[in-house]
Formats: sequence, structure tokens, C-alpha cells
Amino acid sequence: MTSPATLRAAGASDNEPGAANPSRGRRAGGRRPRSSRRRGEGRAAWLLLTPWTAGALLLTIGPAAVSLYLSFTDYNLFDPPHWIGLRNYTAMFTRDPRYWDAVRVTARYVVLVVPIKLALALAVALLLNRKRRGQGFYRSAFYAPSLLGASVAVALVWRALFSTGGTVDHLLSDIGIHTGGWIDQPQYALYTLVLLGAWQFGAPMVIFLAGLKQIPGDLYEAAAIDGAGPIRRFWSVTVPMLSPVLLFNLVLETIHAFQAFTGAFIVSSGRGGPGDSTLFYTLYLYQRGFTDFRMGYASAMAWVLLLALGALTLVLFGTARRWVFYAGQERA
Amino acid sequence: MPRAARSRAVRRTALCLAAVLGLTGTLATACGSSSSGSGGPVSIRFVWWGNADRAKATNDAVAAFEKANPSITVHTEYASYDAYFEKLATQVAGGASPDLIQLDRATLGEYQQKGVLLPLDSYTGKTLHTSGLSPLLLASGRISGSQYAIPGGQTTQMLVYDKTLWSRAGVTPPANGWTWAQFATMSEAVGKATGIPGSTDFGWAIDWFEVYLAEHGKHLYTSDGKLGFTADDLAAFWNLTATICSADGLSKPTATTKMDGSTANSALVTKQAASEINYDSNLTGYLSSYNGGTLAEAPLPSDNATVSGLAAMPPVSFAVSKRSAHPDAAIKLLDFLTNDPGAGAILGTTRGMPPNLSIRASVCANATSSTKAVCSYEDSVKSIVGPSFGNWPTGSAAIKRDFQQIYDDVIFGRTSVSAAAARVVGDAQQTLSQP
Repeated sequence: MTSPATLRAAGASDNEPGAANPSRGRRAGGRRPRSSRRRGEGRAAWLLLTPWTAGALLLTIGPAAVSLYLSFTDYNLFDPPHWIGLRNYTAMFTRDPRYWDAVRVTARYVVLVVPIKLALALAVALLLNRKRRGQGFYRSAFYAPSLLGASVAVALVWRALFSTGGTVDHLLSDIGIHTGGWIDQPQYALYTLVLLGAWQFGAPMVIFLAGLKQIPGDLYEAAAIDGAGPIRRFWSVTVPMLSPVLLFNLVLETIHAFQAFTGAFIVSSGRGGPGDSTLFYTLYLYQRGFTDFRMGYASAMAWVLLLALGALTLVLFGTARRWVFYAGQERA
Repeated sequence: MPRAARSRAVRRTALCLAAVLGLTGTLATACGSSSSGSGGPVSIRFVWWGNADRAKATNDAVAAFEKANPSITVHTEYASYDAYFEKLATQVAGGASPDLIQLDRATLGEYQQKGVLLPLDSYTGKTLHTSGLSPLLLASGRISGSQYAIPGGQTTQMLVYDKTLWSRAGVTPPANGWTWAQFATMSEAVGKATGIPGSTDFGWAIDWFEVYLAEHGKHLYTSDGKLGFTADDLAAFWNLTATICSADGLSKPTATTKMDGSTANSALVTKQAASEINYDSNLTGYLSSYNGGTLAEAPLPSDNATVSGLAAMPPVSFAVSKRSAHPDAAIKLLDFLTNDPGAGAILGTTRGMPPNLSIRASVCANATSSTKAVCSYEDSVKSIVGPSFGNWPTGSAAIKRDFQQIYDDVIFGRTSVSAAAARVVGDAQQTLSQP
């Protein structure tokens, strides 16, 4: 497709304004080999990308497209799917009280866990940003729950800690608070999962820490000279300078929280109980698909979640204009 | 017809991709092509769910089978209940069904209806012997006139109770013919005398509601797969548990919500109740995990003098895949597991009482402590046990889960009994009417 004219145009561009005529002549002679090398590089790049492209097509894009198709069908894994139009969607929105239970539970979880987790992450990042001995150790120690937290093992530990007769129940009983096991009661069960989620603040913490390191020290010095105390410095220097990182963490953690599954699945033994109090959206989707074999319905649920998350992300980016500050940018 | 073949291949690929979405792990098995060797050595796959005891006994029995039939190799797989059915469904959908499959009442009808199972009528009496089985039990594997499954055992509902705690309350140990009113009085007495509620709240399981319905001449599901009870029936059942509960006769909500039929989550085993209703195939589990008291068994109460509500149920059934490349070998294994005395001795009561009556007699004659308890309980209720309640229709797994979730709302006081009962019936009717 590349015509000699465009090649010449590219070669004659003023990318290298200092280039002298003789050298230009030399380069004109070497034009063709260079462009074919570039084409060769392009081919090599595609070749090297093949595993990734194949993976994306076969494992992500393909199945996602199939699930979009399945969401308009009634599909039980055994019989071929048959087209039912929007019936999965209308059933979900109008005739499935448990679906709305799941939406409510998930929304409550997200609203609780995201701010708590981000606040914890920022607080610990501020602590770890100070120069201190053994800093590396503390950073690893605070990051560890993020590596462990999503695992089945920790969810099992959580179940043991918060069940009736478990450690927390015993400790609270010893100081005269008789609540019983938190995971066995609908009014507390979700909070144990919020705790489990918030405890895994390591990843946003590391990102906050990196953001804090980027803030130039002279801003703080100038603020201190002007008489700003630590709290004023935090709100007037740290927060605005960190706001792009905050937005990034907020978007990522919100998406993450909507997709929470393992903790609820393990702690409630896959049921979402007691009394639907921990029935996360993803857990209900899983039950519909893999316990009831209603893959069409589960696919429809997955697509509604995807669209809702997309819309929510757009809204978050929309609000960003009001509160996110990029260095070098004039504030309105 | 290359075009048709191609579109079939495309559809199959699409199905496999769908399976990948959620179950990447089973991709290899789901999409792998099943080899079909002709003549010579044959290999078949046999799958089941269950705990480690059952797995050990079954693998030992399979090893004995392979020794007796050197030309047949059996690959076995087992998993926990939920994981088992998730995996099985994906394998069957991907065209890589195992040859011999373990099913239960909630799934047999569903798999038969999907055309997954091989009718066994042309084998029974020839290579598959069923004459030694109890006819009542064998009937549970018949669907619309054909034999699709062979029961893998027999189990019956029971009340297992801590004899020590019950006698401390001064109540007479329950016997055949006792009523729910007596049960209520005794449970409350045990709760008052010992501080431990007399029994586990039995409102959580649709299985025990099924017994209650039978005592009132009804069924959970009609033979054509419709709902067989009304919201009023369920409200009466849950009002019964609510009344006993309010007098401290039944376990607390925090204990009840954990119930799943396993001994690990049992309120009786964790000392939050002094008795519990379960299938007697779990009795060995109770006996091995219960500390600090002597357990005894009793039939469930009934308000009906002629119907005990107890039924002889197959805890599991075995069926052969219609797409099996070696149905003869699979049938041979099934026959061996069912009728071979050696296999019977190895399997013991790991799937309830052996289905073959002569093997049952010899297993019970040589029984040690816990197996003996199962045998003697079955013997004591032999005269009042009725036939199996029959298979459950498609969607029954979802209905069972819904039943328990909504009962959680009742015990935690988040809804009224009548509203909850109406919701169960409404949800169930909607589930059953799905195409």
C-alpha cells in the first residue's frame, strides 16, 4: 500500500532539521532497505503478538461474543441454545426478586468497601512514605494481605474467625459482648466481607506510595515556609497532587469490588446466606449458570454487569473534571 | 453433508468457548475428543461424588473389577457434590460424557429428559442382573416405563438423638408411631432441662417437608413435574417449627442457617441441638464425629397413624451414558458393583444399605459398630417404610436452595411465615415453568 511518494515524503520530513544534503543523498539511497526492514519489523511484531492475540481472541473476545449471543437464548448446556429474544432480560428485571437482592447486596458492599479500602491504603501509604529504618519490611508486610487475601485459604480462615464459637465470638464474649458468630447473622455477615475486602488494601497502597514519591519536595517546603501545618499541607499539596492517582485507584477498586466473589462464595459455602445477605451479583450469576444450568440467564446477567460497570466508569471519569488536578494544568 | 457437519462443528466450538468462560479448568476434558477403540483392551470412565471413605471403597471395588476383567481399564473421578455436577454438565455438553455416571433424585429425571442416558431394558436380566434388588427400590430408576438407572444403595430418613441428653430431661425415647405434638413437648423439655435445644430446626430442608407432606397424603412434585403443594401446606409446616422454636425446643437461627446435611456443619455435632433429622446413610458419619454422648436413632414423628412418612430412597443411582463407546463394559462394571459379593463387602454402607438384598444381609451380618447401627435402624423401621417418593423434576436444585434461603429470612425474623411460604411457591412455579 505504501507508495514511493509517501515514503519520499516521510524521508523528506523535517524530523532532522540539521541533516546536510550529502547525508540526505546517502539516506535516499538507503530508503528502500530501511522501509522493507520496517515492514519486516511489523511482521515480526505481529508474529510475536500471536500468542497474546490468539489468547485474547479465543479466551476473551470469542467467549464474550458467544455469551452475548447466549444471553438472548435459553441454554441449559445439554440442548442447543434456542433464541428467546429479550426474555432473560425482562425476567431478570421484572420477575426475579433474588436478582434485586443481589443488586442491593452488591451495591451496599461497593459503597462500604471502596472508601474504607482507599482511606486505609492512603493512610498507610502516608505512614510508609516517611524515611524510616526497615521501611522495605513494613511495605512488604502491609502488601502481604493483598497477595493472600483473595485466596481460598484466607476466606476459610475468615469463616473460622467469625463463625459462632469462633475466635471473634469468644473474644467479644470475654468482654461481655454477646453477638454470636457474625457470618451466621444476616445483619452482620456482609460486614465481615467488607472487612476482608478492605484488608486487602496493598495494591492501591503501593500505587499511592508511588504517587506520593512523585510529589516534588519543594512544594512542601514552600508551603511550610508560608506557615502551612501538616494538615493544611495534606489538603492543599498532597491531595491535589495525588488526585490523578486517586481517580485511578477509585475506578479500579470500584470495578474490583463489583466483581468480588471468592470471599462470599467460601464464607457462605456458595449460598450467599444467611438469608441472601451475602449474595453478591457474581455469586448469584454463578448459581444461575453452574447450579441451575441456566447459562443464557447467567450470560444476560454478566452483560448487564458489564454495561453497568462501563456506565459507572464513565460517570466517574465525568466527575473527574471537577476534582482531579493534573500537574502543569491551570486550575479553573 | 460437509456444510451441516461444519455448522455442527462451529456450534460445538461455540459451546466449548462458552464453557471456557467459566470453567477454563475443564476445557481439556470438555473439548477433548473421546477415543473409541474397537476390539482388544477397552477403557471406560466412572464418576461419582462423595467423601474420602466412599472414594477409597469405590476405587478398591473398581480395582477388584479390573482384576476380574483384565481387558477393561476403568478411569475413576470423584468430587464434592456441587463441583461434581458442574463438571459433569460441562463434559456432557462438550460430548465427552463419562460412561458410568452417579446421579441422584434431583438430577436423574433431568439427565434422562435431556436424552443423555441409555435405556437399560435390553440389558436387564441378561448382563445386568436386577432380580436380587428390592423391587420398591429398583422402581426408583424407572422413568416413563423404562429402566434408566440402578439404585446404588438404600437410605431412609431418621432422627438421630443424644440419648444421654434426652434421658436427662426424663422423656421416653421416641418409638414408632409417635406424633409431632409429642416431638414438640419432648424437644422443649430437653431444652429446658439441659440448656441445649431438643432438636435441630428441621424447617431448613425441603427433604423433611417432603416427609411432612407424605404424612398428609401429598407430594412435593406431581408425577408430571408440577408443584404438588400449596403455600398453606408450607405455612403449616413452618408454623410447626416456629412454635417449637419459640419454646426453645429447636436450634437457634445461627446454627440452623449453617445446615447443609453434612456432619461438619451439623447443629447436633456442634452441640447446638440434642437431636437432628437426616438420612441414615449419614449415621456412620454422626457416630464417628460425635463426642461426649451416646447416639440413638428413631423414626420421624407422624400425625398419620397409617403413613409413617418414611421412604426407602436411593441416596445415589448409577446410569450409563447414551454416548458411551463401550456400553457393554460400563454395564459389566455396574453389574459387578451391584451384585458381586466381593464388591459388596468392599463398598459396605458407603452409599447406604447395599441395594442387593443378599449382599445387604451378609454385609449386615458381618457389620462392625457403625454399619451395624445403620442395619439395625433399617431393620427396626422395615415394617413402616414406604416406597421412594420418586425423582424430582428439572429445576428442583434451584427450588431446594430457594427453600432454604427463604427459611433463613423466616428464622431471622425478616419476613412472616405466610409471606415466605407464598414466595417459595411462586418462585418454584416459575422455575418449573421454564422451557
